[in-house]
Amino acid sequence: MSAAAALAALVEEAWAGLVRARRMTTASVLTIAISIFLVGVFLLVVENLRGLVETVRGETSVTVFLKPGTSADAREDLERVARDSRLVGSVRHVTPEEARTRFATWWRSLSTAAGAMATNPFPESLEFDLPPDAVRSAALPGLLKNLTAHRAVEEVQFDVEWIRRLRGAVGIVQTGGSALAVILVLGVAFTIANVVRLTILLHRDEIEILRLVGAPELLIRGPFLLGGLVQGLVGSLLALALLGGAYRALVWWSSRSQENLASLLGLRFLPAGTAALLLAGGLLAGLLGGLIAVRRRNLA
Amino acid sequence: MIEFYRVAKEYQGRRVLKDVTFQVKKGEFVFLTGPSGAGKTTLLRLVFRAERPNDGQIIVNGLNVSAMPVSRVPVLRRSMGIVFQDYKLLPTRSVLENVTYVLKFLGVSPAERRRRAYQVLRLVELHHRLSAFPEELSGGEQQRVALARALVNDPTLLVADEPTGNLDHRLAGEVMKLLAEINVRGTTVVVATHDQDVVKQSGRRCLTLDRGRILEGLAEAALPPQAATKQGAPDAEQRP
Repeated sequence: MSAAAALAALVEEAWAGLVRARRMTTASVLTIAISIFLVGVFLLVVENLRGLVETVRGETSVTVFLKPGTSADAREDLERVARDSRLVGSVRHVTPEEARTRFATWWRSLSTAAGAMATNPFPESLEFDLPPDAVRSAALPGLLKNLTAHRAVEEVQFDVEWIRRLRGAVGIVQTGGSALAVILVLGVAFTIANVVRLTILLHRDEIEILRLVGAPELLIRGPFLLGGLVQGLVGSLLALALLGGAYRALVWWSSRSQENLASLLGLRFLPAGTAALLLAGGLLAGLLGGLIAVRRRNLA
Repeated sequence: MIEFYRVAKEYQGRRVLKDVTFQVKKGEFVFLTGPSGAGKTTLLRLVFRAERPNDGQIIVNGLNVSAMPVSRVPVLRRSMGIVFQDYKLLPTRSVLENVTYVLKFLGVSPAERRRRAYQVLRLVELHHRLSAFPEELSGGEQQRVALARALVNDPTLLVADEPTGNLDHRLAGEVMKLLAEINVRGTTVVVATHDQDVVKQSGRRCLTLDRGRILEGLAEAALPPQAATKQGAPDAEQRP
């Protein structure tokens, strides 16, 4: 007698069980795939929002929109105020014409409309680049206050507030996603448990015979447990494939549009670790479902 | 091989077996007989630990069955073969698969499984029907497949519950002949049956159960004529 032969029998029986209850197995795998796909979508959104936060944080800048007809002297004075704070790295002067060109480049579908306007609606601005550590500097609120109070300034736009809000949104999505993931994994586990339980019912004659002839309990329960694991694994692999397909479709669709949002927002797929986490989630749900189903009460 | 000491079994307050004491020696062929509801099946189920006694001690193959933990039950059952009146064959599997099904789970290699299955199916003369399914077989053939399955793990003890119950006289004779052959090969055989003709013809040792008590004799001839039908045998008729 060999362990390899027993293991082969276990795998063979697990497969036979899944095939025998193929409709239920298919329904179960699809349910698992959809549930894990939904968790994957949440993770994908969180991942990209987080990426966006990181990207924007590395390019922190203060944009100061100037009042129409601001003189060169007033603009130079504003630059001096900014430089005196010692927080500003470089300064960019954006003319209304440059602003219009930039808009037309970023939003290609609207470029015609922007170009067709008789007057240029884009204001003149100054962009002050800040090093990443400047965001946490105590002198920053003072600089913003001075800039806002300057006579040439119409409006001051500072990314940090937006980043803070974005980070808050990421946190909310992440918490909601985690809660959803737990609920869905438990739901998946119960789906698998019910399918395995029905498979056990289909195999009750075999189980009775195996018990009566003294087959080891591990080998009686093993195929059902393995069946649950296989359902979890196949379901999560299918979910990953769906997620990958959906992501590729989005990138492809985006590349065909003039704005190419995917490239603009720097969209990226789930990192390998997160994808592995999804697989592990499916396997965990399969194991849980299998364990629930093969309790002695169900096999008696 | 089997030892029962003052064994009692009850279901929901109703005593099915009372103070049952007997021994079956290694290599013996013993009938367990009695009217329907006498407790034959319960007694056999106690032997392979499908039930636990409420009182007394049971030793099978040197193992204390009554005190045995659940985890050791498979070890006990692997040392014996069990045959049921309703055959308990798997309808979706062929004759060969039915016979080898258990071996597969015991880690026996495919080649060895096939070899052993062929050997026992040859013994029961069904080696030409390896790929047939149970529904394609007659009752006698199905019982022979069940017998082959019980023998395939080379048990030291064969327990059969009404193995001829669903068979006509001729097929019953064939199955009994097979059981006798198996016994000649060294396997201890215990057969529960209510068929008095089968018991009488065999001339084997017979344990008669009557209202949960055991009466022992050599086939039916050694028992008092009224023993099998009397309500509640007197204590004096019980033998250890």
